[in-house]
Amino acid sequence: MNDLQVVKEIFSEYYRTAKLVIPSVEQREFGIGNRKKIDARHLNFANISLFRTYLCNNTPMFVSHSTAYYEFPGTTPIQKKNWKCADIVFDLDIHAEGKYGAYAGLEDMKHDVARLVNDFIINDFGISKEHITINFSGNRGYHVHVRDPAYLPLRAEERRELVDYIMGQGLDYTKFFHFDDKKRLMGPSPDEGGYRGRLARGTIKLLNEKPSKISRKFSNEKDREFFISGINEGNWSKTTLNLKDFTTRLEEVAKSLPISSVDTDAGVTQDLSKLIRVPNTIHGDTGLIALIVDDIESFNPFKDAAIPSDKTMKIKFVEDVPEIPMVGTGVFKKDDVKELPQAMALFFILKKSAKIEK
Amino acid sequence: MDELDFALKFPFTSEAKKLIGTMQLNKQIIEMGAERIRKALHGSSASRRVFNEPEIKDEIASFAAARMILGSLRNRFMTNIFAVNESKMVRNNLNKADPETLERISSRFGIKTKEGMLDIPTYLMYSPKSQHYRLINKKIISGKVRVTEAEELRLIEEAVRKHIEIIPIVKDAPDLIKKAGEKLLEELPKTEVKINVKAGDHPPCIMKLFESAKKHENLPHTARWFFATYLLAIGMNEDQINGIFSTMPDYSEKITRYQISHAKKRGYSVPSCATVMTYGLCCAICRVGIPTKWHNLDEKRKEEIRK
Repeated sequence: MNDLQVVKEIFSEYYRTAKLVIPSVEQREFGIGNRKKIDARHLNFANISLFRTYLCNNTPMFVSHSTAYYEFPGTTPIQKKNWKCADIVFDLDIHAEGKYGAYAGLEDMKHDVARLVNDFIINDFGISKEHITINFSGNRGYHVHVRDPAYLPLRAEERRELVDYIMGQGLDYTKFFHFDDKKRLMGPSPDEGGYRGRLARGTIKLLNEKPSKISRKFSNEKDREFFISGINEGNWSKTTLNLKDFTTRLEEVAKSLPISSVDTDAGVTQDLSKLIRVPNTIHGDTGLIALIVDDIESFNPFKDAAIPSDKTMKIKFVEDVPEIPMVGTGVFKKDDVKELPQAMALFFILKKSAKIEK
Repeated sequence: MDELDFALKFPFTSEAKKLIGTMQLNKQIIEMGAERIRKALHGSSASRRVFNEPEIKDEIASFAAARMILGSLRNRFMTNIFAVNESKMVRNNLNKADPETLERISSRFGIKTKEGMLDIPTYLMYSPKSQHYRLINKKIISGKVRVTEAEELRLIEEAVRKHIEIIPIVKDAPDLIKKAGEKLLEELPKTEVKINVKAGDHPPCIMKLFESAKKHENLPHTARWFFATYLLAIGMNEDQINGIFSTMPDYSEKITRYQISHAKKRGYSVPSCATVMTYGLCCAICRVGIPTKWHNLDEKRKEEIRK
C-alpha cells in the first residue's frame, strides 16, 4: 500500500461512524476533490446515509457542499439548478508566510470567532444561537454558518453589506456625535447596540486600561471617572478638553471595533453558489476534521479535531519542520525517523513534510 | 380610498390585477400601455387624469399592457426605465396616502416597522445602495435597524421598483403588442452607446460600473460621481461620458451634462481607494491607493488582481 492508500483507509474508517449533520442535504450540491479542493461538482445525495456510503467507498480528500439550497442541485448548468436561498457563511482565514506559519494564529483567531458570533451575529443581527454553527475549517481558520430563515434569501450585494458591516467598511463614527443646544458633545452610550454601543464600551475600556491613549488628562482618576460617568449617559462633555476635535482622539478605539480576519477576498459570504467544506469531514491537506465546535474558547484544533485513534505511525521527514507550538511538537530535521501518534503523523504526511517509513 | 382608486394608484397589486381580470386588451389600451412606457423614456412621472370608472379601468389595464409589451420586447433598458418611473409615480401616491393604505402596500413587501425599527434582512433587501443607507452607520438593536418615516417610504419605493422590474417573458405575443414594442424601439434615441471595454482596461471597481451601465442599472449618486471623475481623469470628453451615463434608467441629459461640466470645471479629483471603499464600491484588493494608478500596474499584476 502506498501512503495515499493508507491515508484513505484511515479517512474511510472515520467516515463509517462520523457525525454528519447537513440540514436539507437533498437540496445541496456537493463537490469532491483529490488532486485539488474540487475536482468534480454538481453531485447530489438524497440523504445522509447515501452520502456516508459515498464517503466510505470513494473517500475523497476534500468534500464540500453548496451554501445554497437548490430545487435541482445535481443539474447543470448552474442556472438550471433553481437557486432557492443560501446559508450565510463567514470564512475566517489566517494568511501567513510559510507552510506552518498560520497555525500559531489559530489560538488568537478564536477570540475573533467568539466576537463575530456573540457581538455581531447574535447581538447586532439578532440571530439566535440555534441558527449558528461554528466549525474549524480543518486547516487555517474557522467557518461560521448562519441558517436563520429570515437571512437565507439575501442576495450577493446584501450579503456584502453584512460583511462590510463586520469588517468596518464605511464606518464613519464621527457621525455618532453631535453638539446639542447647550453645546454639549452628545454621543453613543455603552448600552446601545451596533457600532455605537461598541464605540462607547471600547472607549470606556481603553480609558480604564490605557487612559493616556486618549489623553494624558485621563490618567488622573477623578478626571477619568467624571468623563466616564458622562459617557454612560451619552454625554461626552464631562471634561475640560477641547470638544471640537475630540472625536479624532477615538480613532484608535474605532479601529479596534471591526473584525478584520473575515475573509472577503475570496468573496465566500457573497458567492451564492459557493461550495464550502462539509462540517465534520476531513481536510485532505492536514488530516484534521473540520469539526463542529460547541465551545470555541476551549477548542484545541490539534487535539479536538484529530481523527481519534490510539495507534502510532512511523514516519520519515523529507524536509526540516519548525517548531509548531499549537501542535506541541519540537523541531524535526530532514531524514529524522519518528514514531508519532497517528493524527500527528498524518498531519506531516499530508503537509508533504514526511513519508510513511516501512 | 375605494378599491378602484387604490388599483389606479397601485396598478402592480393583485387587487388591481383582479379588477381588470376579464378585460380584453384592445388596441386603445395597448396604445395607452405604449404611451406609459414612452412617458418613462421621457422621464415624466405625472399621473394621467381620469374621470370615470371605464377610464380608470382602462388606465389600470394600460399598466398590464405596458408589461406585456416589455415582456415581449425583453429590452433591459426599457424595462428598467419603466420600473424606475412607475415606482416614482407610486411614491408620489404614497406621499399622499393615509396610514392604512401605506400599511397595505408596505406589508406586502414585509416592510413592517415597529416604533421606527425594521428588521435587518428586509432593510438590506430594499434600502438603496448609497452611503446614507449603509448599515454600519445606522442605529441597530438586536436584529433591527432604525429608519425614519422618509427612509421607510424610500424603501417601499425601492421594493415597488424591484417588484415591477421583474417582468415575465411573453412568448408569441399578439401582433398588436409586438407592433407597439417595435415602434417603441424605433423611437429610442438613435445615439447608440457603444461601451467597449475589455477585462483589465480599468480597475475592477470601474469595470463593475461599466457592467452596470451596460445592463442599464440605476447607480447611486456616489457611484456616478466616482465614475465621472474617473472617466474625466483618464481623458474622456464630456460627450463620451454623457453617452455612457445615458444608458442609466433615470438619465436626464440636462442634469448629467451640467454635472459633468461642473465636475470638470471644479477639477474634482478621483477619490482615493479608501473613499471608494467607504462608498461600498471597492471590490478587489489592488493596493494602488487611487483607482487611476491601476494603469501603472503591469499586466501580470492586473491579471492576478482580477483573479
